[in-house]
Parts: sequence; structure tokens; C-alpha cells
Amino acid sequence: MMMTFVGIVLRLALWLLLAPLLPGIINKVKAWVAGRRGPPVLQLYYDLARLWKKGVVLSTLASPGFIAAPAVGWVAVVGAALLLPLGPAAAGVSFRGDVLLLIYLLALARFCTVWAALETGSAFEGMGSVREVSYAVLTEAAILAAVLSLCVHTGGLSLTTILAPSAGAGAALLAAGLFTVLLAENCRVPFDDPNTHLELTMIHEAMILDHSGPPLAAILHGASVKLLLFSVLLVQAVLPLGALPPLLATAALAGGVLATTVGVGLVESLLARFAFKQVPFLLTLAFVLCLFALLVAWKGGAA
Amino acid sequence: MNDTLNLLIGLAMGLNLMALGSSRMPSLIRAMSVQGVVLGVMPLLMEHLSWAHLNWPVLLVAAATIAVKGVVIPRLLNRAMRAANIDRDMEPLIGYVPSLLLGAGGTIAAMAVARSLPLLPEHAGSLLVPGALASVLTGFVLLIGRTKAISQVCGYLILENGIYLFGLLLIHATPLLVEAGILLDLTVGVFVIGIIVDRIQRAFDSLDTRKLTVLRE
Amino acid sequence: MIVPGLLSVAALGFLAGMVLGPRRPRLWLAATLVGSGALLAAALAVLLGEVPEWDWRGTFSLGGERPHLRLDALGAVFLALLAMVGGAGAAYSRNYWSDRDYPRSAGRGRFWWSVLVATMALVLVAANGLYFLFGWELFTVAAFFLILLESRGRNVRAAAWLYLAASHVGTLCLFAFFALLAERTGSWELGPQLRGVAGLAPLFWLALGGFGVKAGLFPLHVWLPSAHANAPSHVSAILSGVAIKLGVYGIVRFSGWLPLPAQAGWIVIGLGAVGALFGIAFAFAQNDLKRLLAYCSVENVGVILIGVGAAMLGESHGQAAWGRLALIGALLHVWNHGLFKALLFFGAGSVLHATGTRDISRLGGLWTRLPWTAGLFALGAMAVSGLPPLNGFVSEWLIYLGLFDAGIEHGPVAWAAMPVTIMLGMAGALALASFAKAGALVFCGAPRTKRVAHAHEAGPWMLGPMLVFGGACVAIGLAPAALWLLLSRAAAAWNPAWAVAAENAPSSLHSLGIAHAVLAFLALGAALLLWRRARENGLRRGLTWDCGYAKPAARMQYTGGSFAGVAAGWFFWLLRPERTVQRPHGLLPESARRIERVPETVLEKLIGPLAAGVLRMSTAVRRLQHGRLQYYILYLVAGLAALGLIVLWEGSL
Repeated sequence: MMMTFVGIVLRLALWLLLAPLLPGIINKVKAWVAGRRGPPVLQLYYDLARLWKKGVVLSTLASPGFIAAPAVGWVAVVGAALLLPLGPAAAGVSFRGDVLLLIYLLALARFCTVWAALETGSAFEGMGSVREVSYAVLTEAAILAAVLSLCVHTGGLSLTTILAPSAGAGAALLAAGLFTVLLAENCRVPFDDPNTHLELTMIHEAMILDHSGPPLAAILHGASVKLLLFSVLLVQAVLPLGALPPLLATAALAGGVLATTVGVGLVESLLARFAFKQVPFLLTLAFVLCLFALLVAWKGGAA
Repeated sequence: MNDTLNLLIGLAMGLNLMALGSSRMPSLIRAMSVQGVVLGVMPLLMEHLSWAHLNWPVLLVAAATIAVKGVVIPRLLNRAMRAANIDRDMEPLIGYVPSLLLGAGGTIAAMAVARSLPLLPEHAGSLLVPGALASVLTGFVLLIGRTKAISQVCGYLILENGIYLFGLLLIHATPLLVEAGILLDLTVGVFVIGIIVDRIQRAFDSLDTRKLTVLRE
Repeated sequence: MIVPGLLSVAALGFLAGMVLGPRRPRLWLAATLVGSGALLAAALAVLLGEVPEWDWRGTFSLGGERPHLRLDALGAVFLALLAMVGGAGAAYSRNYWSDRDYPRSAGRGRFWWSVLVATMALVLVAANGLYFLFGWELFTVAAFFLILLESRGRNVRAAAWLYLAASHVGTLCLFAFFALLAERTGSWELGPQLRGVAGLAPLFWLALGGFGVKAGLFPLHVWLPSAHANAPSHVSAILSGVAIKLGVYGIVRFSGWLPLPAQAGWIVIGLGAVGALFGIAFAFAQNDLKRLLAYCSVENVGVILIGVGAAMLGESHGQAAWGRLALIGALLHVWNHGLFKALLFFGAGSVLHATGTRDISRLGGLWTRLPWTAGLFALGAMAVSGLPPLNGFVSEWLIYLGLFDAGIEHGPVAWAAMPVTIMLGMAGALALASFAKAGALVFCGAPRTKRVAHAHEAGPWMLGPMLVFGGACVAIGLAPAALWLLLSRAAAAWNPAWAVAAENAPSSLHSLGIAHAVLAFLALGAALLLWRRARENGLRRGLTWDCGYAKPAARMQYTGGSFAGVAAGWFFWLLRPERTVQRPHGLLPESARRIERVPETVLEKLIGPLAAGVLRMSTAVRRLQHGRLQYYILYLVAGLAALGLIVLWEGSL
């Protein structure tokens, strides 16, 4: 009992401390490709520390839900992260069907962000919310197809069992599909541009325009945990970490996450944001990729 | 060997989807031509080539397929496109997302159908039949859902790739002569279309096949 | 002895309610609450296993048949829900439909409420075809009069008549079903013994059609949106929470009692998946708060039927493990949907009561005026979207588990389970979108009209039932394992072969409950911490920033229509919205408008034209009927001649 508790706390610390590193790495990659020096890798840590000390400006229209929602959303994302195994270190909590809890915890986080956004009565935030909830319909289909493919491939139903072996023959398809989902869910280019200053073109940034101070810190930190979560999920779904010795598996996980992050940075540097009309197409493509991974897993299971 | 073959067929299936999803003419032509090359390599894999006893006819047809489908036809189409100054957008009748879903659904259906077909045991595990069915279906979706003459040619070529895949099932029974004949027909056909496209463009200022219906009188 | 005693008390309570209802509101409420409490106790007695099953045959004959009542765990699941919503709705109506506000109809409403609850209970305990039909018909009529309470509006009358007409199409199917059943078995008796009778399988289709109309199964749901939207809100709550569940009850009951055709499971799971996805797509596009909730009921019935269909497939393929999971998930969803949908309809009723409008695009910013309603509605919205740690997620989770297990097992059922899983996921995401819209656009932001700004919070009798249901949603979410034993008894009543003696909930359900509890606790803690931190750092109120726009106005907010714009566009082919657009013209445009209405496509584009065609044909035939005696005699002569000719012709053959 004590051991599990300590284990959970350790994993929690790992997730919370490492997550803000990822946006820093992405920004560094982008700066490097563009030939600039760029902000320091630890920039987000400084930002979070500063925001935590700042006061809050609350819209006259906002209810207490405007502050509660970021907190609940943050807890949901971190809770989802604790369900993920970390290479040789199994998940903090694991049971049959925890993968569905993960998906729905992310949905809970989305609900909270959207709710808080609509509290302000701003058109921009309405716009961001609409996009967020609409595109989620397609990403949900893609994620479920990906999870199904992993479950069918391994015959398990908990994250620990389905993520240990590699995705088999469909790994490439799954990797492509999940990477696209990662970009969409974390509002990166080509779905959303985290750097733009034109609110009309944003999704996530448009939703959190009115947040400030500690709630904004919670949102930003939650977003970085979500990015790390998806990277870890992607790497473990594709690489056969369960078959490697622990040390190597840890190295592979870390290397994979780093590679994914750099990949996101490269995509961001080399690609422009798509027109919103094309987003459903790209998400459908991600869904089809995951669907084909499912098909491959199915065929593989039959043989 | 079979695994490599299945991988190639899987690639061809992916290219089908790419063709269905591409909104620009050049990318459609590229998908089609890459698929041609992928298919051209297949007979080499199936014939267990070794330097000791080269199977010259197979080698020849494979080389011809790769050359014609991978280089000649795309080039002809690209040139026709440039010469006729075609707007590169496709103006689809069936949107890209529905086409993509149709293609994916068709591929899965092809997999399901192929399981219930009475195939030779040596073909049962391979993706040849589903791949062929999927390509034929893709071809039809393109033929039905796109309006420009050149995209129709691409649809037709992908359909032909499907038939070619069916033909590979019989590679031991029929000499590749038939395939060679088709290839020749194709080249001539595309060549002629290239010329006609140019003429139509000059006469009508458009390559929209829907407008060709005024010729029915 | 305990069950018949409690049921007698309930019957007495509701009879007293019928007598007292019109004149004595307080006594009526007391009687109804006592009756509902007795019903709930009886249901729990059966579910908790105090009395495994109650079966009673009268020694006398009533209407040509000896009465036969039985209550098993499956019926008790539905009876418990009926008791909760029946009692809570009665309490809610004390403030909501009071004699002061509705002097003409309040008494009538109380009378029919008692009739409705009593007859629904009769349906749930009837084990004789005739009594079942009798109860069914009475409850349909009672619901009709309740929808019609506010009979002045044209919409209300149209909705009520549509409901009555559609219900009778369903009842017609059920008449045929029970009559054929009686004909083939030789008696009107119902029960598990029917399973052994050969040749009954095709009758399941009649039952599916008949009960499907009541349940709001997707293409048969046409009556549901308008009836639920136009009925008084406490009536909507019981219609949506319980009445359509009786349709589900019929499907579940008779899929357990009858031998099933081979395709039944496939059809039911397919209809469920289509209903779930399409129902919620319609819901998302609605701008009428109560219509949105009504379409969401179509979705939830779809979700329940997915579970039921998976259970049927599990049974026919001999897979008890995941079949049970799916069935228990479906039954739990029956409860959950009843609870949170009643809560949401009560919330919508409070909004309607306070503002007089159901149009989402005219509401907004209500949380300042109705803080309790806003909070409870938000809770209900999260529950209905299937978000952890609330109850909606638990039941969907169980259904998902059943489907995933069916997929992993690699059998033929996987071909149904995998696409259905994906459709269920998409429906879930759309539900989230719909309820972010319904909740946040109504209660958050700036008030869009004057009337909203002067709204008032609902009375204590209205908030009380909502609090109870909200609490139930949380409780089921945090301790789902407690219900496992009850529901597994119901699953055993559905298929006795699935009975497992003294079984504990699967450990994963325990883990889920613990995870939910920890999550809820942490979420609460984090919210408080953040709130305190914000207070310490200094909290300042300012205008919504809106990218520096100096004077944000209420009309700049996203409306219901624009919120649904993106995703509803993908379902354009299904929804077929009708748009009236008046574009702005000139430099300083005077007026511009854009009105979008999503019709009930199945009704208006499919059944409407069909009915019009039938009507046209009938008018053509009616021309024969003109009142001139000479022609009638001519018809007679022509008819006789034709008959004679036929006889002659037959004779010559």
C-alpha cells in the first residue's frame, strides 16, 4: 500500500516536472531551423513560476466555474497521465479498461476548457470552442481505432498490457495516425498555430484568451502534460519496450519522446497551418490510418 | 518473399487512398505513377529471380511496366496538363473526405470479401485479391467522382492497376504477353488522350467532362 | 409477503392520488410520495435479493383472464427508476405547475400524473398479455393528456396528436404481437416458459417495432422531439426518463423471454449505433433547449440498445462474459439516463419557468440569477456527456468493455463490435459538444435578452428533486461497484444461464470507483487551491478582454446555431437545415437576419411526403363518395355484375 502510494507520487513528480520541457524543446528546434537563437529551453518553467505569482483579472461575466474549470481540467490531464505506463516502470494505476478512462479524462479536460472559454461571452473564445469540440469528434474516432488496434493486437485491455509489445506490422500506420492525432489534440501546426497573433486562426490559444495568473498557469502546464502524454503514448504504442531490458527501454522511451518532440518542432518549422476547411480531411486521414492499423492487427491475429 | 509482396500491395493500397485524397492534379498523377512502379516490381518478386537462371520475358515486362507507368505516362499527362493550361484543382463531384472514407470502406470490404472467395491455397494469405479489388474500386470512385479529363485518365489507370494485380494471380498460367499488350494499349491510349485534351482545350476552353455532354447531338 | 404488501400500498397511494389530485394538492403529493416510496422499496427488495422473484396469480377472473402479476429483478430495475422519477416529478410540479400559475390545468395534471405512474407500474408487473396491453394503452393515453396540459399552443396540440398517432402505430404492432403470441401458445400468459416454444422467433420483429416506437429507436423516433419539447418539463422528465425506457423494457424483456431470430442481435446493435450517432447529431444542431435534450434521449436509447444488442449477440454466440458486461452496462445506463435526463429536463424547466423561452439563442448568463440550477445543470451536462467521475461514464465504460472484449475475441461479432465502438466514441464526442453548447450558452456569457436579466431562481420544491438526482449521479459515479450485484441479478433474470451465485463486482469496476473518488476529491481540492491562490494574488474584475475590443456586447457572442456550425455541416446530408437568409445591403445596413431551423428529417422529408401521397390517393378515391343515390345504385349493380362474372369465370375453369 505504502509502496504503491510512493510509486504514484514519484511518477506524478516525474510527469509534472518533465512536461514543461517539451514546449521548450519544440521552440528551440523551431528557432534552430529558422537560424535564430530562440528562447531558453526552460522558458515555460519561468513563465509558470511568474504566472503563479500574478494576480487574476476576471471577466465581469465569469462565474466561479471560470477558475474551477482549469483546475478540474488540470487534474483530469494529470490523472490521465498517471494511467500511462512509463516503459519498464508500470503505470501508477492500472486496471482492465483504464484506456477508456484515459480517453474520457481527456474529454473531461476538453469540456472544462470549453466551458471556461464560453464563460466570457467573447466571440473569439466561442470560435475556439466550436473548433475544439468539432474536431474532437474526428480525433475521438481516430484514437478509438488506434486503441482498438492495440487491443486486438495484444488481446489486452489495460494500458500496461497493450503498450508493452510493439504494434506489430501496423506500427508505421499507427505511428503516422497517432502523430497526426497528437498534432491535432495538442493544437500544433498544421491544425493550429500556437505562435500566431491573429485570434481568428487559433483554437487553443483563442479559448484561453481571457485567462490570467494561476489559472492560466494551470492551463499551460496541463497542455504541456498533455503533449508529453501523447508523445509517451505514441512511443510506447510503436516501440516494443516490453521486450527490452529495463535500462534500454527507459533510454528508448526517452529517446522516442525526444524524437517525437523534435518531429513536432520540425513539422512546425516546415509546414504552414492548414486552412480550417482542410482540417477535417487531415483528421479523416489520421482516422483511416488508424483504421488500417486495426485491419493489419486483425489480419495478424487471424494468421 | 510473401511478406515483401504484401508490404508492396499494402503500399499500393495506401497510394489508392492518396489518389483519392489528393486535391491537386500533379499529386494525383504522382500517386498513380508510384503505384505503377510498385506494381511493376511485383512480378520480379513473385518469380524468385536469381542471376543463375534469369527469366528474361518477366524481367522485360517488369522493366517496361515500370518505364511506361512510372515515367512515360506521367510525363505525357504532365505535359498535356501544362500544354492545355489546366486549372490544377480537381472540382470533385464526390468530396475528398467522402472519397477517402469510400476508399477505406472499400478496402476493408475487399478484405472481407476476399476471405470468402474460393482462392488457391497459395494465394489465401496474400493481399493480391483485396489489393486488386480495392484498386478497381478506387478507379471507379475516381472515374465517377472527378470531372477533369486528366483525373479521369488517372482513375482509369488505377483501375487498370487493379486488373493487373488480378493478372498477377495467373502469372504462372499466362505468359506476360497479355500484360504487355495491355501496356501497349495503355500507352497509345494515353498518348491519344494527351493530344485530344489539347484539342478539346482549344475548342472549348475547358476540360470539364460534364461540358462534353453538349456534343451529344 | 413484503413485495405484495408494498405494491398494495403503492396502488392505494396512487389511487388516493387520483381521487385527491384535482382538489387537494398537498395530500396528493403526500400520497404520491408514499406510493413512489413503496414502489421503490418493492423494487429494491427484489433487487437486493430479499425476495428473488414475486409471482402472483389471481383466483378470480377479470376481463376474461385471471390476473397474473410478477416482479423479477429485470422489471425491478425499471420499477426503481419509475418510482424515483415519479416521486421527484410530483414534488417538482408543486412549484413548477402550481395552482396559482395554472389554475385550469394543475388539478388535471396531478390526476393524470397518478394515472401515468400507476399504469406504468402495472406494465412493469403484468405477466399476462391482456393486462400488459391494458396498462400500455392507459399509460399512453395518460401521457397524451399530460403533454396536452397546456393546450392553448398550436405546437403543443400538434405534438400531442403526433405522439398519440405514433404511439398507436406502435400499439398496433403490439396488439398483433400479443395476439399472435396468444394464438401460438394458447394462452395470454407471459414468462420465461415462452422461450421453449418453437416458432415464436419471428414475432420478435413485431415486438421490436412496437416497443421501438415508444423507445424512440432511431427511424421510429419521429414523435419524440416535439412531444418532449412541448410537454411541461416535469412531464418531459418522466417521458424521457421513464416512458421511453418502457419501450426499452419491452425489447429487453421479450428478447429474454422469446426465442430470438438469428439476426436479432445484429439488427439491434446496428440500430442502436445508428441511433446513437444520428440522434446526437440532431441534438447538436437544435437551438431549442428541450428539443436538444429530447434528441439526446434518442442517442441514449441508442447507447442502451448497443449494450442490449451486444448482450443478444453474446448469448447467441455463447459468450457469457462480455455479453453480461454489455447487458449490465445497458441496464445501468437505463438508470443513469433516467437520472441525469430528469435532472436536465428539470433544469430546463427552471430556465423556462424563469425566462419563458427555450430558445438557446435568447438565453445566456443565467448563472447569476439561477446559480443552483446552473451548477446542477452543469453537473447533469457532464454526466450525460459520459465524463468521469460521474455515472454516465460508468455505464458507457461497461458497454465499451463488452464491445472491446467482443473485438479482442476475434470472432464474427468483432465485425459489429469494432465499428460500433468507433461510432459510440464519435457519439460521445458529439454529446460533449452538444452539452457544452446547451449548458454554457444558456448559463454562461452575457444575457442575450432583457427577459433573461430579470429571471429568478427556482423554488425549493424544484431544486430539491434536482439536488437528489444530482447527488445520485455523483454517488453512482463514485461507487459503481455497489450496484453490480443488483444489476447482475437483473442480467440473470434476462438469461438464467448467466446467473452467477454470490458474485462480486469485477476488480476493475472497484478500481474505477476508487479512481473516480480520488479524482473527484483532487479536482475539488485543486479548484479550491486555485481559487484561494487567485484570491491571495489579487482578484480584479474587468470587461471581457475580447482582444482589446472596447465595448463587447451580448449580441457578439456565439449563438446556438453558430456553435453547431462546423460539426453540423458534416451531417448536412442528414440534417438538411432550412435557412432563411437576409443579407445586409448597402453602407449602413438596416437589417439582416439569418434563421436556421433543423427539421425532423425523418418526419418531414420521409413520412410527410409519404403521408401526403396516401392522402392524395385517398382524396381521389373519395370522389366516388358524393352522395348521389343513382350512382350508388350503379356501383351496386356494377359490383354485383363483377361478382357474378368472377363466379362464372371460376366455374368455367
